Amino acid sequence: MSIYYYLSAFLFCLGLLGTIFKKDLISILLCLELMLGGVALLFILFSKATGFLDSQLLVIFMMIISACEVAIGLSLIIALYRKKQTIYTDDIKIITE
Amino acid sequence: MYLNYLANVGRYIPELLLVVLMVGLILIEATYSNDEKNKKYIFIATCIGLVATLAALIANFSAKGEAIFSNSMIIDPFSTVMKMIMVIGTFGAFYLSSFSKDIYESLKTEFIILAVGVLIGGMILASANNMLMIYLGIETLSILSYVMASLKKNDERSSEAGLKYALYGGVSSGIALFGLSHMFGVLGTIQFAGMAEMITKLDKAQIMILMPSFILFFVGIGYKIASVPFHMWAPDVYEGSPTPVTTFFAVVPKLAGISALVRVTMIFFTVQSPLRVGWIGLMMVMAALTMTVGNVSAINQKSVKRMLAYSSISHAGIMMAGLVLINQIGVRAVVFYGITYVFMTLVAFYITSIVQDKYGNDHFDRFQGLAYRYPFMAVMMTVTMFSLIGLPPLAGFVAKWNIINALLSSRYYSLAIILVLNSAVSAFYYLKIVRLMTLKTQESNETIEGFGFLNQLVVVALTAPVFVLGIFWESVMGLAEGAKIFIK
Repeated sequence: MSIYYYLSAFLFCLGLLGTIFKKDLISILLCLELMLGGVALLFILFSKATGFLDSQLLVIFMMIISACEVAIGLSLIIALYRKKQTIYTDDIKIITE
Repeated sequence: MYLNYLANVGRYIPELLLVVLMVGLILIEATYSNDEKNKKYIFIATCIGLVATLAALIANFSAKGEAIFSNSMIIDPFSTVMKMIMVIGTFGAFYLSSFSKDIYESLKTEFIILAVGVLIGGMILASANNMLMIYLGIETLSILSYVMASLKKNDERSSEAGLKYALYGGVSSGIALFGLSHMFGVLGTIQFAGMAEMITKLDKAQIMILMPSFILFFVGIGYKIASVPFHMWAPDVYEGSPTPVTTFFAVVPKLAGISALVRVTMIFFTVQSPLRVGWIGLMMVMAALTMTVGNVSAINQKSVKRMLAYSSISHAGIMMAGLVLINQIGVRAVVFYGITYVFMTLVAFYITSIVQDKYGNDHFDRFQGLAYRYPFMAVMMTVTMFSLIGLPPLAGFVAKWNIINALLSSRYYSLAIILVLNSAVSAFYYLKIVRLMTLKTQESNETIEGFGFLNQLVVVALTAPVFVLGIFWESVMGLAEGAKIFIK
């Protein structure tokens, strides 16, 4: 039980750090998925530990919604790529103070 | 059992009407997309749909509150009022979009379809009664907002705004889910009623796990209302998006987030416990920070839209200050603040949008000498700015006074002082517009096409509630006096 907890927490933290420190948008999206994957594992784990099925329901919804999010994110990246020919965050910062 | 489930549909008519409206708009757009009639049909359909929704909500208002759909949603006067405000905000943004030049003509229908979708998400959030519905509400709200922010396909700034919004949103909802999973691990249920019951009988170790998970959960909602450590996206997104979209973002997602926050606060933290103390502390710090950072950052802005973005952050902070009390008085003050906030924001954005359409940018200088060309509009803008500062006898004053009064009655003196000081700071940048409109000479004598008779009439109609709520606030508050706002 505890080893799985550490695994999912590790996945979550890895994803979170990736979204903060990665510089290209595709990697950021991948890290976002990693984060949600960690959380999904945690939900399933807690469902097994507590014996209630509510959270497994939540995992199914989470999978659908994260798929939507990635679809939107990828299409936005493509829209931006058409304009700027780059996917690196440093190069696409247009809005400034 | 199944029949029971269907019997509740009657209370869910407003949301169903909006779903029908959204599908209907898609069908109209698909059928008449290359036709002149398209625009007219869309306009009429949206008007009818939104007015019908508002009517259904008013019909719901007086009925007794109840939990529906196996306790997953709750319909009570509080959620109904919040939904009404959101529908009015959507209507305002929709009318603005119908004549704004900031959205391409061919994309206006898409704007309305997406706006109705976001509104449905906001309504789910306002009446959510378990963690799954909160999560679904936030995501329905967010995913459609990402698309709305990047509605100007050919503009890099708009695309960047949308992408920023999507990435920040994804990360914050991931963090909120991490908190939720721990809550489930400790409490063993996702129903609010069950969770609140479990919270009263926890031991110390469990509370120590629960406290950080509530903070993590707050990230998800705090991001939607642009509370301060998570506000970085707001000015960029507000500036990059088309103005009608900005107007919409300033009203609907923000109020939906506030109502979810109110619901969570009122359900989990009414009983005395270490969690309650921690939550009050969190709310106080966040409210003070949100007000102060929002106001101070607004001072040096060149773009009016960006200034309004920061000012809307500070208003969210003031609404959060009303939540510190965790009682009916505080909630009533927050709801009243929400009502006035919608009208003030709509007027400010309407006039800014019309001026921006004429000159192509929204710098403060564009307002120079407006009082000599369009005195009536300048008066309305001045009234709104005074109300946003909180000068009597306008609605903004009463709204702020209610919150300060509630804070003082529960002895939160420091927060009340911070709120008053912030109002003084905010006068600086709101009055800048008034000064430019009246004291500077006009740049040119050009007519601004946006200020036609009909649009001026709409602006006046939106400003009227600012007066009326400011003077007759007692009777409006009296309506809520006897009613039990919440049910459990």
